[in-house]
Amino acid sequence: MGDINALVVFYSRYGKAEKLALAAGLGAIQADANIRLRRVADHADTAMIAADANWKKNLDRMNRDYVAPRPADPVWADVIILATTADPSSELEAYVASLSSLGSMSGKIAAPLAQGNRESALKPISSAAEHCGLVVEACGDGEDPIDTARLFGQRVTEMARALKHRT
Amino acid sequence: MLTLRKAEDRGKSDLGWLKSYHTFSFGGYSDPNHMGFRALRVLNDDRVAAGKGFGAHGHRDMEILSYVLEGKLAHKDSMGEEHVLGPNEVQAMSAGSGVIHSEFNGSETEATHFFQIWLIPQTRGIAPSYQQFAYDPSEKHGTLRLIAGPDKNTNPPSAFIHQDARMYAAVLGSGDTITYTIPKGRHAWVQGAAGEIDVNGMAIKEGDGLAVSDEASLTIRGSGAGGGELLLFDLA
Repeated sequence: MGDINALVVFYSRYGKAEKLALAAGLGAIQADANIRLRRVADHADTAMIAADANWKKNLDRMNRDYVAPRPADPVWADVIILATTADPSSELEAYVASLSSLGSMSGKIAAPLAQGNRESALKPISSAAEHCGLVVEACGDGEDPIDTARLFGQRVTEMARALKHRT
Repeated sequence: MLTLRKAEDRGKSDLGWLKSYHTFSFGGYSDPNHMGFRALRVLNDDRVAAGKGFGAHGHRDMEILSYVLEGKLAHKDSMGEEHVLGPNEVQAMSAGSGVIHSEFNGSETEATHFFQIWLIPQTRGIAPSYQQFAYDPSEKHGTLRLIAGPDKNTNPPSAFIHQDARMYAAVLGSGDTITYTIPKGRHAWVQGAAGEIDVNGMAIKEGDGLAVSDEASLTIRGSGAGGGELLLFDLA
């Protein structure tokens, strides 16, 4: 069992942001973290989703592979990795904004990442995380987005470890 | 010395879709007296309802074997491996430096019953890997069929694991007897998988486990009306 708990929460429609989340989660495991993987639910109604066959197909698959975040998850976590689509996700932003109501986020790290590292998608997540008292660490660019996410997962786990064990 | 771990004394989980018995501490079941035996850390007897399963989750530094008794088990992981296995097939995953995977009942209509076995590897941080192979069920009838061990490219095939341990399976008809010689200084674990057997005269039923130390050999006999199926682990 690792000494650091990493919560990976993502919003994805077609699986691309999911891949970033999985890569970051794998990086956290490689840095010896215990991980939980969670997908936040869509705000769109079922008719809208059903009209997009690819969205529906991926949603059915993801609903099987992941559960929604639970209230105890952020309390358990030392670092919260937040992966989102290239477009701003109201789903993930709303989740992050709710964190302070679930417990103290002081001393925990928020690690947002987005498809294409898009500032427009990252900013609302980062702002909501800072507002909750989380320490926000940016991912930055890399040639291979999946490997960049994996290395980011490693880096924020090591940061969380340093924060947790500082004297 | 033979130490019996009775089936009814194992830890239990019931999540509705999952009914699991834990020979050793696992998840919400924690007993400091049952944390494993030698390198054998987890031995879960899982029954998964149709269409249900374990969502994406992570592992590292563990040799994970799945042995299906009934039904199908669908596996998908971060190495890109996506497979379904059934009885008389074996899956071995070395989590090594880290892997994320999911496991689901591969059938929408029938339950799956399988053992999930974790062994602590000798080395940490190895590259993750996945193996799967099938064998003819006759290969384990009346004899110990090697399922996993520390030797590569065995004939017949077995799973390579990063630990000085061997896992065998056998199905014994009533009265069938096999003998296993335990090398000096080594230990064994015998797990009753189905039916009834006896080991050096000790009765083992489905779900029972037997820790073996300081014994030179095991005489294993199928008992009861129909004999039984067992797993045997040879451990350093």
